[in-house]
Amino acid sequence: MKSRHLRAQAASFCFILPALTVLALLLLYPVVTSIYYSFTSKHLIKTGYEFVFLQNYIAVLTDKEFWTSFLTNIKWTVTSLFFQILVGFFAALALERIGKGKSFFRTVLIIPWAFPSIVIALSWKWILNGVSGYLPNILVKLGICDAIPQFLSSSALAFPVLVMINVWFGAPLIMVNVLSALQTVPRDQYEAAQVDGASPLQSFLHITLPHIRIVMGLLIVLRTIWIFNSFDMIYLITGGGPAGLTQTVPIYAYNVGWGLKMLGRSSAVTVLLLIFLLLVCALYFRILDKWEKEA
Amino acid sequence: MGRKKLLRRGWFGSTVSYVYLSILAVIAAFPLVWILLSSVKSKSELAGDPTIFFPSHITFENFRIVFEQLNFGRNVGNSILVAGSTTLVAIAISALGAYGVVRFFPRFGKKLTRVLVTTYMFPPILLAVPYSIIMGKFGMMNSRIGLVVVYMSFSVPYAIWLLVGFFQTVPIDIEEAARIDGANKVQVFYKVVLPIVAPGIVAVAIYTFINAWNEFLYSLILINSSEKATVAVALKSLEGQEVLDWGVMMAASAVVVIPSVIFFMLIQKKIAGGLAAGAVK
Repeated sequence: MKSRHLRAQAASFCFILPALTVLALLLLYPVVTSIYYSFTSKHLIKTGYEFVFLQNYIAVLTDKEFWTSFLTNIKWTVTSLFFQILVGFFAALALERIGKGKSFFRTVLIIPWAFPSIVIALSWKWILNGVSGYLPNILVKLGICDAIPQFLSSSALAFPVLVMINVWFGAPLIMVNVLSALQTVPRDQYEAAQVDGASPLQSFLHITLPHIRIVMGLLIVLRTIWIFNSFDMIYLITGGGPAGLTQTVPIYAYNVGWGLKMLGRSSAVTVLLLIFLLLVCALYFRILDKWEKEA
Repeated sequence: MGRKKLLRRGWFGSTVSYVYLSILAVIAAFPLVWILLSSVKSKSELAGDPTIFFPSHITFENFRIVFEQLNFGRNVGNSILVAGSTTLVAIAISALGAYGVVRFFPRFGKKLTRVLVTTYMFPPILLAVPYSIIMGKFGMMNSRIGLVVVYMSFSVPYAIWLLVGFFQTVPIDIEEAARIDGANKVQVFYKVVLPIVAPGIVAVAIYTFINAWNEFLYSLILINSSEKATVAVALKSLEGQEVLDWGVMMAASAVVVIPSVIFFMLIQKKIAGGLAAGAVK
């Protein structure tokens, strides 16, 4: 009897074994080796390397460029996330409200989500091109700008424009998830509130928000991580320029690892990045836990 | 008196909603429209007044250059191969895993969201360093199989997350009835559960394919010959040319982005609820 039970257990375990293997080999193991290499002088091309203890961390933490990148990264994440949520949330509310054309708008609005990062980069670079881009030229033609604005190479515009492109890309995901969260709000509560004479704003604040806040919370956690880690978009659009103004930590790590070819030091940068994200997420999860208990 | 009626109270709100959505729709669709229009404009037209919206005549010269001179078809083939293999392997692993968690390890399932969020936290740029070292060690640098292996790192967690929601909708009674009829766990999975969740699995498979098709960083780091390059990296290399030909770049972009957009539109309704469902549990 006991051996049958054990065999059943083993069969159940076989279902999740491949997935666990992937997680262990492709996520856990690389993170451990990254931590290991962060204490060595590992080079991209040279074969030999030695243990250098904290030297990489000291080099990174005393590098002014690292801290500038870190601040840029926080600015990038906070502004992108704020505007993505603002645009996406109101788009979801607007979609909930309209009757005809809901499915049309929904389908058109998610287009950016499907864009590969390289196509995001090329298409926006072409639209904003400082010589023959559509948008800069139309702004001049309409008399809004005197000279052709250099959206991606001017030090005043590059960062905000990059954030706007990120909002264009990320708002649809927020919209779609808020929209499906809105469907989970029980409708009888709205009816009860209306009978009690609640205004739409009151029912929004006291019924809608409390119901969707856990989904929103998780969404914010995921988006924070994703935007903080995002490499492609910045690398492909500005490459961190002009003059390092849009350089975030992932770009800095790439430049150290593949530009300077110092993989050990690059690992130290990414380990610091991971530690920071772990701290931020621990904080988020404490808040989410509290909400879940209240719910 | 339903929620819909309540939310739709007043014409003012609806009008504002329509105006807001229309503005967003124009912004959302503009890059795609501009890619398509630019890709069929002639060289002289692209060099002319950039504010002229529609092409005066349509030419497919740019597409001809993309496929005949740049041999982009080869890169499309690479991407189909890599993204297709990634999808097949990832879905097999994830379907088993998601079902296993839902049915046999429900207590672990409650923590699954956290585990998957944690995997999401590892910066791709952090993983890129050990991947390039490990692939070098096993002689899998510049190998499409190596790329498929690396793509599991994001495909499997994503797919499990989405699939868990679909497997949870399968009523356990049906499975128990099959068990009483003498089917074992594996038979129940193949003959009873899979057919029920098949539409969900197809949607997740398409999503996995799009993500692999769109991927850039690992492909950039692990593949270093243009023969084996995926579409994303091949597109990037067009930008490195001395004379930038935007017509050609937009034609190649169109080839890459159109399948993504079409497939995504087909599955978006099925995928969208996934995150919310995962969070509500």
